[in-house]
Amino acid sequence: MHDRLSFYYYRDSILHQLNPLTKLVLVFGLMLISFIFPFFWTPHILILVAIIPLIFVGKVKREYLNATIRIILPATMFLFVMQALFQPLGDRELFRIWFLHPTLESTLFAFRNAARVFAIASSFTIFLLTTHPRELMSDLTRRGLPPQIAYVIISTLQILPQMQAKAQTIIAAQRSRGLDTQSSFLKRVGSLVPLVGPLVFGSLVEVEERAIAIEARGFTSTRVKTSLHEIPDTNLDKALRWILIGLVVITIALRIWLS
Amino acid sequence: MAIVNLQNVTYKYPLTDSPALQNINLQVNEGEFVAIIGPNGAGKSTLCYTLAGFVPHFFKGELTGTVEVAGGESHNSSLSEWVLNVGLAFQNPFNQISGAKYTVFEELAFGLENIGIPRQEMKARVEEAMKLTGISDLADRSPYSLSGGQQQRVALTSILVMQPKVLVLDEPTSQMDPIGTREVFGVIRKMAQRGMTVILAEHKVEWIAQFADRVIALKDGQILLDDIPSEVLTSPILPANGFGISRYTSIARKAQEMGLWNKDRLPITLDQAVEGFFNEGRK
Repeated sequence: MHDRLSFYYYRDSILHQLNPLTKLVLVFGLMLISFIFPFFWTPHILILVAIIPLIFVGKVKREYLNATIRIILPATMFLFVMQALFQPLGDRELFRIWFLHPTLESTLFAFRNAARVFAIASSFTIFLLTTHPRELMSDLTRRGLPPQIAYVIISTLQILPQMQAKAQTIIAAQRSRGLDTQSSFLKRVGSLVPLVGPLVFGSLVEVEERAIAIEARGFTSTRVKTSLHEIPDTNLDKALRWILIGLVVITIALRIWLS
Repeated sequence: MAIVNLQNVTYKYPLTDSPALQNINLQVNEGEFVAIIGPNGAGKSTLCYTLAGFVPHFFKGELTGTVEVAGGESHNSSLSEWVLNVGLAFQNPFNQISGAKYTVFEELAFGLENIGIPRQEMKARVEEAMKLTGISDLADRSPYSLSGGQQQRVALTSILVMQPKVLVLDEPTSQMDPIGTREVFGVIRKMAQRGMTVILAEHKVEWIAQFADRVIALKDGQILLDDIPSEVLTSPILPANGFGISRYTSIARKAQEMGLWNKDRLPITLDQAVEGFFNEGRK
């Protein structure tokens, strides 16, 4: 458990070597284009020409497939079915079972929205698989993100599994003193109280100690901070970012022009 | 020359009536190793926090008197500058891990990043400090995957790497098993031998007896005794006030009551006890 605190997988790929900001711009660029570009099949085309190639460039196809089958695909399927069945759009009925009567319009609408969500979730997944949180945060801090925010994000990622482990310890401790955690629902809800108390109060005490510990290491120092790791930001990165921003601007312009 | 100088220091935590420290006068010379002992609630931690600037900068409350370290006064300095004078490590090793770093090496560099040390110097300082405390082999491990003793040595190293003038340690081994305790004391002794000024609040008198130059007995926020270890640790005032004393001292005191210990001075270490009893036996 200690080793898997992020989604990141190390690979020797161009995508891994890109500056985190470039990848972030890529994610948001794909998101905006899939929503704004005035063409029905835009998200589907993006999946084919951007998402799928990126999986191979980033050498994370197995990890991506894993996430897709477990989370992204079920979620988008659910979205598709619900919208196709219940969006009150159009009147060209496809079929009718009991009170369910999807129309052609609602199905197409659902198909596009599902593809959008699929594209966005996929690009975020690829981003998380190929970007170490540490690199993302130190790059953003260098660009002006307050270090307190970076600290909160990273330490939350790290501390959640620790709190989970502590909750397990408290459950075991209370159970050994006769706490009922396995009988009826109501009893179990009642038994949450002696579990949550120690976890919450214990964590509050820890917060104070941790504040002292990072303060003892100059966390609030007003000196200009430096960084152990150098995060490369190449000309390729800058060019890619400008190209993406350009594409988004063109997309917005097309949308305004065609409307 | 005194590097630490406390004059008439009295401190009250916010929302409390009785002071946690009362009229403390304390001078510590450069390179001295001073141990602070005292029962729970005696003010050991508060004294440590006061030296390290967390009283009053972090805990607020009322502080009177002056706290001087290396010529500077704590209430005139910001906390983030004061920590460059006085490094603080404390009990729980887990809570001293920043949580913002993924490897021990990065964890050690955290403080140096905060105070803006250039990358090259940062790496050199971290490597040197790791070598000193014997944790070089942990550099690439996650700080959370370590044992308590290893974590505490990482916490100590993360302070040492900042190169403070005075090291303040608040019961650094209270949550350690015997092996962890030995590891941590090994590091502390090494620092003291290199001329670092060390102020250590600690319960484990048998370790103090071996290492400290001076022992201060604290009770109810006041200094009861302040002298060399063999004087303080054998004083009859300690057991009468609820202080823990070394088993060597207590067994010799028992022997003394039964007329079996004829030396003037009670022992504080194993060697002294053995010598005392051995010489008795030969007569």
